[in-house]
Formats: sequence, structure tokens, C-alpha cells
Amino acid sequence: MKISENELVESCRLAVNTAIKKGADSAEAYSVSSVETEASIEQNDVKLGKFHQRSGIGIRVIKNGALGFSSVNMLSQEEINESIDASIKIASKGSYDQYNIFPNTKVPQKLSDIYDQEAHDFKPENSVKNAVKMLKTARRYDERVTVDSGVFNNSLNSIAVVNSNGVECVETTSNFTWYIMGMAIDGKEVSSFDFQFGGSHHLKDIAVEDTARNFAENVVKSLGSKKCQPFKGTLILSPHAVTELILPTLVNSVNSNNVQKGRSSFAGKMGNEIACNELTITDDATWSDGLSASSFDREGVPRKKLDIIDKGILKSYLYNTYTACRDKINSTGHASGDEESSPGVGSTNIIFKEGKSSFENILSEVKKGILVTRFSGNVNPVSGDFSGVVKGGHLIISGERIHPLSETLIAGNIFESLFEISDISKDREKVFNILAPYIRVEDISVTSG
Amino acid sequence: MQISIDNLQKILEKSIHSSYAEARYQHRVRNEIVVGNGEVEEAKSTRIEGIGFRVLVNGAWGFSSTNTTISKTMIDTLDDAVKMAKISATAQKKKSRLAETKLSNGVFKPSINDPLEDHSLEEKMTLVTKTECDSRRYFDIIKAATCSYREIIDNKIIVTTDGAAAEIYYSKPEFRITSIAARNGERVSATETVGVTGGWRDLFEKRSAEEMSRKASETAKKILDARHPKGERSKVILDSGMVGLIAHEAIGHTVEADFVLSGSIVKDKIGEKIASNLVTLVDSGLSEIVRGAAGTILVDDEGVPASKTVVIKKGILESYLHNRETAAEFNVEPTGNARAFEYSDEPLIRMRNTYIEPGDYELDEMIQEIDHGYLLKGPRSGQADANGEFMFGAQEAFLIENGEVRELLKGVTVSGRALDVLQTVDALGKEFSYDIGAGYCGKKQLAKVDGGGPYLRCESLIGGMQ
Repeated sequence: MKISENELVESCRLAVNTAIKKGADSAEAYSVSSVETEASIEQNDVKLGKFHQRSGIGIRVIKNGALGFSSVNMLSQEEINESIDASIKIASKGSYDQYNIFPNTKVPQKLSDIYDQEAHDFKPENSVKNAVKMLKTARRYDERVTVDSGVFNNSLNSIAVVNSNGVECVETTSNFTWYIMGMAIDGKEVSSFDFQFGGSHHLKDIAVEDTARNFAENVVKSLGSKKCQPFKGTLILSPHAVTELILPTLVNSVNSNNVQKGRSSFAGKMGNEIACNELTITDDATWSDGLSASSFDREGVPRKKLDIIDKGILKSYLYNTYTACRDKINSTGHASGDEESSPGVGSTNIIFKEGKSSFENILSEVKKGILVTRFSGNVNPVSGDFSGVVKGGHLIISGERIHPLSETLIAGNIFESLFEISDISKDREKVFNILAPYIRVEDISVTSG
Repeated sequence: MQISIDNLQKILEKSIHSSYAEARYQHRVRNEIVVGNGEVEEAKSTRIEGIGFRVLVNGAWGFSSTNTTISKTMIDTLDDAVKMAKISATAQKKKSRLAETKLSNGVFKPSINDPLEDHSLEEKMTLVTKTECDSRRYFDIIKAATCSYREIIDNKIIVTTDGAAAEIYYSKPEFRITSIAARNGERVSATETVGVTGGWRDLFEKRSAEEMSRKASETAKKILDARHPKGERSKVILDSGMVGLIAHEAIGHTVEADFVLSGSIVKDKIGEKIASNLVTLVDSGLSEIVRGAAGTILVDDEGVPASKTVVIKKGILESYLHNRETAAEFNVEPTGNARAFEYSDEPLIRMRNTYIEPGDYELDEMIQEIDHGYLLKGPRSGQADANGEFMFGAQEAFLIENGEVRELLKGVTVSGRALDVLQTVDALGKEFSYDIGAGYCGKKQLAKVDGGGPYLRCESLIGGMQ
């Protein structure tokens, strides 16, 4: 049986009160409970049915201005006591830091749309049915499609945060998530992998067939790939490629911890132009469709919509309580992490504002370039240098797709490329917790052959 | 409740509806210290404990796990696994079966020099704090640094209804230092890492923390002034870490038997020549040549002894990597590659220590024979594709001209088709080491792996600025 919200809050209260009694100056407890069923696919067949219950608690204490953290995956009094002792021991070996404080924010307004009552009655048989539906859709699209692996997962997750400043919040989310991965095989030719995934909070929004069709279309289209000549030209990044190539560096750079520690190229650039003026990005945990939606963060601070980049201007970093305290401002509600780690700083749902052009227009204006479906490579989040292989990509000449590409590398610098964005599509796709458009970037080095 | 082999055997006796059942108990402690710019960013201790049950009913798999070690809950969890298997069986077409093999019995513990538990939290915090601080002091141009220490201490018990009964202990520490050099708004970073299976002395046997931090800072300083290489197909010499990555990414994933069944590029190629005859590639649960490799396991998570598997012998493909199910499918012996990261994960086919055996070249000789090429050092993350196309990064690229190492260039990405690139291997060095032990491989779940080899010379595509 899944642990109830009340029991979770009670375990947190117990932990906080006990930690104070044991000598902590302040204490915070974050507990979780989840129950999930999963059906997995391997080699074009159903492989495994899985049932999993999880619980755990992370306890953070401050003693003499030093932090200590410990976690355990059981919620019994004995285990919690042991974990508190470990936290206090770690804090007693740490050093004083004036910014070590816990928030005292008000109870957040609950998001109404991230929990589906019907998820409670979702049977394991339905996970298997959805996995089979995803598999069959992909295989029926084209007989050359081979599904290497896939999963359909249904979970109910509750989290609670309580601290000794009076913060006390609890929330339950229902999640349906799925992915499919594989390739197309045509005689001796094996295509590039493709990997598509999806997720929703609601039963009615399960869309495994759409995901399977996108996957199948991508792998079939990547058959017959060839190399091309090296050149410098245009990239069109698919929404998926945007999340792989551009987003990680942007998120790393607006992380206030990285800014404060000299690990961000956006340090000292607040209010400056850091991208072309068509680029507007917000972080919004209150966007219920996004899989990172929640009403409070890892520390219990209410979530809110935050403009990160507005028309190319850097508008805000992401803060948790510690980093906000260092900059003498309020937390933006971006404490991240789970019960197994003390809060870090992290983004939630990321929304790119739509552009004005259709994808077809963006494509038609390319003289010579590459349409990038996926990017497999290394991006240095500090320098912004990237270098990697184009996956499922197509050579574009005079607006026409010429052929799929293999053994083709692209290289450049993300921060420079943000100024080389020449168009953003009005069509956007939800990629789990990100709503991203197609983005066209100029002046990228392409190596092949 | 204290879990023992006996307890788990008694629980599995209740599994009357399954043709096979396995129980995996795990107690894991993870400790972590991270210091950035003089501040402790993370100091934590995490403990997990629980049991995963996997059963085979009517040829279909079911899995369930619990973090409660009370007998009744464990029996209920086993029943849940049976229920899930029965549901899977309604949709599964092909019946799963397992290869018969000798299963492990007894207590298994890789050798440890200087147990981690004998070193106090203070000592570990002091080392991380000092190393991070030192790395910012070597050069004025180093503006930021991060140092971390992580350790995993595992106790596992694996029991199966067909005879495995193994108790296993692992100790896997890792250490990482990143230095960031900055000037006029440009920032570059360089990272040095080490990860082993063993104790405190094993971790720093090859290099001290001070040597690693000095190297990271020196590299970051040099890379800041370096220009980008030109992208091209070229002769390259890969260092041991890069060879570990090529062994893991370019070949290792393609020979995982589950992927072979999906249609990997090496399907039906056993006995065929797929690499230069200089190449002998091994995946092993043991740590041959040099002890303490991070991917060392003595028993896999199905209870199969994890020995040495020669994948490619002198260029000829000899074996895939198997669990008991794929071994039955291919009618071969299991190779001990079934691994699960935590008790709540089901075992999958994963690599362990993957390496290319050394040859007889000195590095200088390998360099002297190159007119134009690159010496690539410092592995960065990598990935492999279904079509055998791989990519991985190098932190440093040294230009080689007319048989001599010239200037240092900024890091690059190396790519190519695995089987094409391995055919071009024309020299292997004498020295050998494992060098990717601080990393993890991701395939649905994490796995601690390692890889290595000697210096290796081949032809590959490198990405750069045109």
C-alpha cells in the first residue's frame, strides 16, 4: 500500500522535531512515497511486468551554521533517528556559512491539474496494453522498423516538505510516461537509432501511438544515409535537438550557483543582450502540461513563472534559498533534487516562445545546411563549445532535403550561436517538460567524409 | 530484520507458481562530498536497503521490489512479481528460458587496500577542500574549481531457486577535480578523474589528489589559449581512457546480446574478421593486467560467476555478452553480464571492464610514424548508435606534424563507424591502464563500468571548426 499524504507529513514532522531535540539548530525533512507499474518491451516483444513501491526521507540540519544531510529509503522511527544522527555528525564536521538558512515561505497554492483520480484505478494490465499499442503502431508503420526497447510506466508520487521554520506542504502527482527506441533494418543496412518519449499527468492525454509513429517515421527516413562534403552553413534544430544542444548550456548558465561560483558565462550579464531578439524563454512549473509541474520546490518554496530570457535579454537567474540569500534576494522557487540529495538549483518546465515562421518557410530559405533531429555529442556548459554527431539528420540544399546523413559532425559555440539564430518556428512540440520550436542557426562548421 | 541467504531461500520456497525465482537483497551506503570555490556544496550520506524479486511464469518475466525486510511483506512482494509475470504472459509472444550453468555459492569480496571505512569523514572532507583550494592556487588564471569524492559501499545477497547463493561486498570510491580558467569573458574547463574497485590506497595508487589537481589546472590554463582544430579524417593516437571508451561505446554496446537480437551490426558475425588483427578486445568482471578496475564484479546479478570474456580475438569476433536468457537463445554459456544497479532494478546485459589488450609499441614510435595527425587525451562522454556509428569526446588534442607532437588544441569529438575504425588500427602501445572508472554507463539504469587499454593508433573523423 502506498503511504498516505498525512503519513508522509507526519514522518517529516517527526524527523524535524527529533533533529531539533538531538541538537540541530534548524531542520528540514523531505519525504517521498511512490507506487508504479511498468511494462517493458525488448526486441519487438513484451519483456517484463514490474511493480515497484518506493519511499524515503532526506533530512537536512543546520548546526552552528554548518549543513549536514543524510537520507534513508525507509520511514521507520529507528531508521529516521539513524539518519538524523548521520546528518548532525556531518554538520558538526562542516564549517559555518552565514547563508545556510531554511525558507519560511507561506503554504503554496496547489496546482489542480497534475493529479488524475483515474490514475488510482489504472491496472497493471493497462500498462501492458499501452506498451503493446506503442509497439504495434511502430511495427505497422513500416515492416523495416525494429523496436529495441520501450517502456510504459504509470506512477503516483507524493512528496512532503516540513521545516523548523513552519513550512509544511504536501502534494501528489499522477504520471504516465513512455518511451520507444530502436532502428530500421533494410537488408544489411541498419539505420541510426531514434528515441522518442512522452508523458502526461492524465489518462486522457496518453498518446503512445503519436510517439510510436514519430519514432518509426524518423528511423525509416534515416535509411540510405550518406556522408557529405565539409562546409560552413545553416542548422535547423528540431525541438528534440534544441533540448539536447542548446538547452543544457542555457540552464547551466542561469543556475545561480554556477553564476556565484564562476562556472557560468552569464555571470555579470544580467540585463545584457545574450541572444538574438527573437529568443524568449520562461521557466514555469505552474504549466500543468509539463512533466516538471509542481506547486512547491524541493524546499517548500512556492513555484512561479519566471522569465529567463526576454527578447534576447537575460532577465533572471534561477535561485534556491541559499543562493538567493547570497545575492540578498528571495528564492525564485528553483530548489531542485529528491530525497537522496540536499537541494540544488534546477530548472522546471522550460517554454520557448513561438516564432512567426512555419517550419516549411524556415526550411525553404536554407541555401546549404543540415536538419538536425538529434544531437549526440559533447557540449562544454562553461565555455559553450560543442562538437558532436548529427543523428537522423538530412542535408538541405536550396530548401530541399537531399539525403539523410551519416558520419557528420557539427561544431561551434552555443553562446555565439545564440546570436546566429536566424529564425524560430511558430510550431512547437512538447518534449516531456519542455515546449520547444524549430530553431535555425547560421554559420556552423560541418565535418564529414 | 537481518537478511541472510537462508532467509531468502525460505522466502523463495513460497514461489510455487513460478518456474524460476531470484531474490536480490542490497544494502548500499553512498557518501559524497563536493566542494566548489572553498564552500562545501554537498556533504551527505545516503543509505538504501531492499529486496528485488524476479520470477519466470509461463515463460514471462515479472519483477517487484520492496524496502521492507519483514517476511510477510517480502512474500507479498514475491506474489506481486508473480502477478506481474502472469499479466506479461498474456501479451508476450516468445517464451523466455534460461541457460543451465554453474552458479555461485559463497562469500565474494574483491581485495581492498586500506578500507574506506578506516578513513574518517574529516579526513575525506579535508582532502576534498584542500585539493579544490590548491587547484585555484597554481595559476592566477584559474578562477573556479570543483572537487568531489564519492564512495559506494555495497552488500548484496543473491539467491535463485536453481542454486545460486552468493553474498557479495563491493567498495567503489571515485575522485574528481575540475578547474576553470577564464580571461576576457572566455571560460574553459578541464577535469581529471579516478574511480576504482577497492580502498583508499587503491584510489590514489596511480596518481595523488595533488597530481590530479595540478594536471586539471595546467590543462585548463593551456586549453584557454589553444585554438580549435580543423575538422577532418585523420590519423589519431588515442590514450588509454579514449581506448576504453572506444572499446565500450564502439564495440561493447553492439555485442550486448540483447542488442544483437534487436539487429545490431555484428548480428550473425561470430567467427568473422571485424577488426585489425592487432585487436583483442575483452570484457571482464575481473580486473586483468592492472588490479582495481571500477567495473569489477565477481558474481553477476543472476548469480553467474563474472569471468573474462574475449569478445574479439586478433580481429575475429568470438563472443557476445550474455545473461542466462540470451545464452539459452544462442546456445552458449552465460558470460556473467547480467547487472542491476539497485535492488529495485531488474538485471540487464551490461558491460564490466572493457579493454583492448596491449601491443609492443612505444608511444614515441607511434608518433614518429605520423606525418599529420592528432594525439587525443582525456576521455569525455560518449555514445554509440545502432549502425555502429560512435562518438566520444577528447579533452585535449595535440597536433602531430612530421613525427613530432606540436601544439595543444582545444578538445574534439571523435566519430566513425566502429567496424571501419577498428580495421584501421595499426599500432598498440606497451603500457596499459584503466581510465574511465569514475564514470557510469546508462541503459535504463546506471552501471559502474571501467575501460582501458594501451595507446592505440587508428584513423578516425574528428570534429572541428572549418
